[in-house]
Amino acid sequence: MTETASWWSLPAAPALLLTGAVLAVAGDALLAARDAGRPRTVAAAVRPLLEVVRLLAAQPRRMPAPDRLLWRSGVVTVPVAAVLSVLVVPFGHRAVADLSVGVVWFNAMEVLTWAGLWLAGWGPNAAFSLIGGYRFVAQGLAYELPLMFALISAATGAQSLRVGEIAEAQQGLWFAVWMPVAFVVYLAGVLAFSFLGPFGYPVGRDIASGVLGETSGVDRLLLQAGRWLWLTSGAAMAVPLFLGGGAGPGLPAWAWSALKTLLVLALLVWVLRRLPVLRADRYVELAWVVLVPLSILQALVPALVVLNR
Amino acid sequence: MDLTAGALRAVAARPHVLLVATPGGTAARLAAERRLRLDDLPLARTPAEADILLVAGPDRPGLRPAVDRLWQHLPAPRARAHAATPDAIGPALERCRTDLTRPSRVDAGHSSDGDGNGNGNHEGHKGHGDHHDHGGMEMPAGLPMAGTGPDRDGLELDQLHIALGPFLIDWPTGPTVRLTLQGDVIQRAELEEPGEQLGDGGDVPFWAEPWARAAEGERIGIGQAARRRAAAQLDSLGRLLAVAGWAGEATTARRLRDDLLDGAPGAALRPGVRRFARRVGRSRTLYWLTRGLGPLAGSRARAAGVGGPAARADGDVPARYRTWLADVVRDVDRLAETAPLPADEEGPRGRPAGGEWPSAALARLLPDLLEGAELAAARLIVASLDPDPDELAAAARGVTARD
Repeated sequence: MTETASWWSLPAAPALLLTGAVLAVAGDALLAARDAGRPRTVAAAVRPLLEVVRLLAAQPRRMPAPDRLLWRSGVVTVPVAAVLSVLVVPFGHRAVADLSVGVVWFNAMEVLTWAGLWLAGWGPNAAFSLIGGYRFVAQGLAYELPLMFALISAATGAQSLRVGEIAEAQQGLWFAVWMPVAFVVYLAGVLAFSFLGPFGYPVGRDIASGVLGETSGVDRLLLQAGRWLWLTSGAAMAVPLFLGGGAGPGLPAWAWSALKTLLVLALLVWVLRRLPVLRADRYVELAWVVLVPLSILQALVPALVVLNR
Repeated sequence: MDLTAGALRAVAARPHVLLVATPGGTAARLAAERRLRLDDLPLARTPAEADILLVAGPDRPGLRPAVDRLWQHLPAPRARAHAATPDAIGPALERCRTDLTRPSRVDAGHSSDGDGNGNGNHEGHKGHGDHHDHGGMEMPAGLPMAGTGPDRDGLELDQLHIALGPFLIDWPTGPTVRLTLQGDVIQRAELEEPGEQLGDGGDVPFWAEPWARAAEGERIGIGQAARRRAAAQLDSLGRLLAVAGWAGEATTARRLRDDLLDGAPGAALRPGVRRFARRVGRSRTLYWLTRGLGPLAGSRARAAGVGGPAARADGDVPARYRTWLADVVRDVDRLAETAPLPADEEGPRGRPAGGEWPSAALARLLPDLLEGAELAAARLIVASLDPDPDELAAAARGVTARD
């Protein structure tokens, strides 16, 4: 039974999320070191963390005629939404807030990043930044509907929008096993709302980093942190939605939650460098012609199972 | 001591480097890229991200204002250096890193729009401030509003004016393509020739060097030329894969390129090169993302004076990168051949024709291929043709001297 944890979970949840994000960054650094032919050492893994100091030491940068308010609020929205999203994710049997509409809360926070990234692209008053912003909107139109059907599949299977109840409904058989399409679509969605790797289209190298192109200092730190926090939050949410939550033999529930989250995170980090960036003009086609029908069919499966129960 | 010194040391430990290669500076650029890769110093994609501005290659007075403008957009703490030759790269980077640790380098009064004209033009990503047909409407900051124009469906849509180049990450330095965009569809593309001031025309392009020396009567082995050509095409592939956003394989291409130039024996290189060629050449994802982009029939290419892989590929972006991959695999098998280079062997981008290096014809094809494409597709098309900035700068004299 998932319960609402006491007051100390409020600082603990963001701290755990941050730890996961740091591990993801370190893992990515090791993969990058392997590709580049550098030694894979602990030092190589933690070197990217120097970015935090580097960005805090950097001078704030001004652009001519920026939309400061919208730029700043967009930049702040991305990491804040990532932290808020994780409040409903149970760690073991405890969540900061086990809302009756937990899935909707998570989805709403994720959609907030749409606004955040669009504003962050709009704010600096620079062409490539703006292009990066609307690239994310195009990407969102492609990934969001399949992602929502994937969430609906899990919720339907458990007949609940409460994340804790979805995890409990998987006693015996994980949703990932009998809803594989929903699981894969969900993982692709996680990469997409983290705008990392194959879904890094809004910050593409071809438009000189797009949304990130004009940011420096703290603004850049917040946006970059937001990406890795979202990746970690998405991985953590995959566990109660599709992988049975904290259930497992031998270990305590919190340990199973942590282990499963790290495994999903490792898989996602590995994929990051293995695929080229999916341009939205091609991905929209795939999403609407293939993924939307497939994920609707997938949502139909738990609906029929539940009706016949 | 104080917090500032510690922070500055952290900046100097892993600074991001904005690498600007001037035309004719390929050898220096390769040395810099190799050094940055092995020392884990990330390449900055924009001035906003950078701590160090490193100019690699001969000083080009025509590009100085553009380089200075880049410098003005670097946030403090920052350092800059110019390394004309490959040997100067290491010391220049070290000097910059020492400079970064000095607190005096934090010039607090500096602002990133310090060029004073307030129109925010970064070289390579010019914004709304480009003064084309804006109807004289002015905004408070002195910026003109975006104008409108009819699009391909006859609607009146906002137009954005963007210049790609002269400096842009994974872009051949020098040529500038001025784009008129609606949404992200290119309505008009104009190529701005870099002009005489960029090169003195005297240098032989780095990638075409074995062929130029053979033409002057020097004895060059097939293996030596094959090594240079394979490295050149891996360099092009690295750029294309980077633009396509495939970080892992782009790094692999560049690592193999550096190994080739270091003189690694063919037997050691072959497995890695074959694995790379198989992964990239057979990638369904990359094919799906690039098919149909920038179709260039062989006959049309030859009519425009283009030879080499671009003409042989006779097709779209995937046809061109697969031609490169096949060439690289073939060349790596020939590294040990010592027979003299036959006269009909072509260089990495084809043979000089009509008194110019082959890249000049490649660059002239760009506007036609770009119009109607999306911005992302345009970058891929340019990267798949990859005109060599060295050849463009060396255009006039280098070839006529040999004809």
